[in-house]
Amino acid sequence: MLRIILIIYLILAGHAAADELPIGHVKIVSGEAFITTGGNKIKAEVGSPIHRGSVLQTGKKSAMGVTFKDETVMSFGADTVFTVDEYLYSPVQGNLKFSSKLAKGSLNYVSGVIEKLKPDAVTVSTPSGIIGVRGTQFLLKVDE
Amino acid sequence: MKTRQPALLSQIVDSRTACTVLLVAMLLGGCAPTSYVVLLPSPDGSVGEVVVRGQKGEQVLTKAGQAGSLDGEAVRVGDQQIKKDFAATMAALPKMPARFLLYFSAGTTLTAESEALIPKIIADASTRPAVDISVIGHTDTMANEPYNNQLALKRASKVSELLSENGLKANSVSIESHGKRNLLVPTPDNTYEPRNRRVEVSVR
Repeated sequence: MLRIILIIYLILAGHAAADELPIGHVKIVSGEAFITTGGNKIKAEVGSPIHRGSVLQTGKKSAMGVTFKDETVMSFGADTVFTVDEYLYSPVQGNLKFSSKLAKGSLNYVSGVIEKLKPDAVTVSTPSGIIGVRGTQFLLKVDE
Repeated sequence: MKTRQPALLSQIVDSRTACTVLLVAMLLGGCAPTSYVVLLPSPDGSVGEVVVRGQKGEQVLTKAGQAGSLDGEAVRVGDQQIKKDFAATMAALPKMPARFLLYFSAGTTLTAESEALIPKIIADASTRPAVDISVIGHTDTMANEPYNNQLALKRASKVSELLSENGLKANSVSIESHGKRNLLVPTPDNTYEPRNRRVEVSVR
């Protein structure tokens, strides 16, 4: 029973994410890239919205650049799978969090405002460890 | 079975050669890992920190060019390897966002200097693909919170109108009010402070 409730909750949560305002947008695409939000997969184009829970993917010899609402900037190289798990940007309420996951591929990350206001609020998970970010730029490659 | 032997033998030789090459590479200055993180300076030149936590421990990267394996060990990765692994990724990095601050002489009247920024914001926006704009209004701490929330919203709306009247074309524009709860210059309540009476425009 608990499992059924959990599944229903997950389905509802997935739908809710697509109804919320976008947290970022695609700025650059070369080759083929996709965004999946709440089970709905679209081909990524310049201007495509990104939501909390979105999964960003690039194909072979492809790349994508995105900019988030708090001015965090990222780009992804070929064969990448990146998920936005949580994104909270309400400076007045003090709700600040950005957690994501790079399952495979490559990432160029440039910090935005969330980290400036709340150090340790930004994490990127990988299959073998967690990266905490404190106001900087970094490159990350996952090939396992 | 006999026909397979030569293949197996060549495999062994191949892997031995590979091992030797790997060993030489390691002696010459480190073996490049397939998964790693490397710290770079921010576009403004400052260098922050990256902390990697994994099964092998915790590694804090504090210097530009410093690298770590994803399970928490220190590793060395050469510039050539970084270039090879990330050139295409770095080429897709969007232009860094810009942030403009506009100040008010009274109510919703912009100072002359700030009004002159409107065409500059539009010019910056026009250089970006599918530009997204946030217009965020603020007040100082004079008067009560409901009044300031309204005033900050009026300021943001005024700037947004000026931008669209002057020809701004954007993928999205959001208008927000932070009232007196997000001060640029911290002050006690009921303090007159022109630097807090502002609108921030984030251009991305």
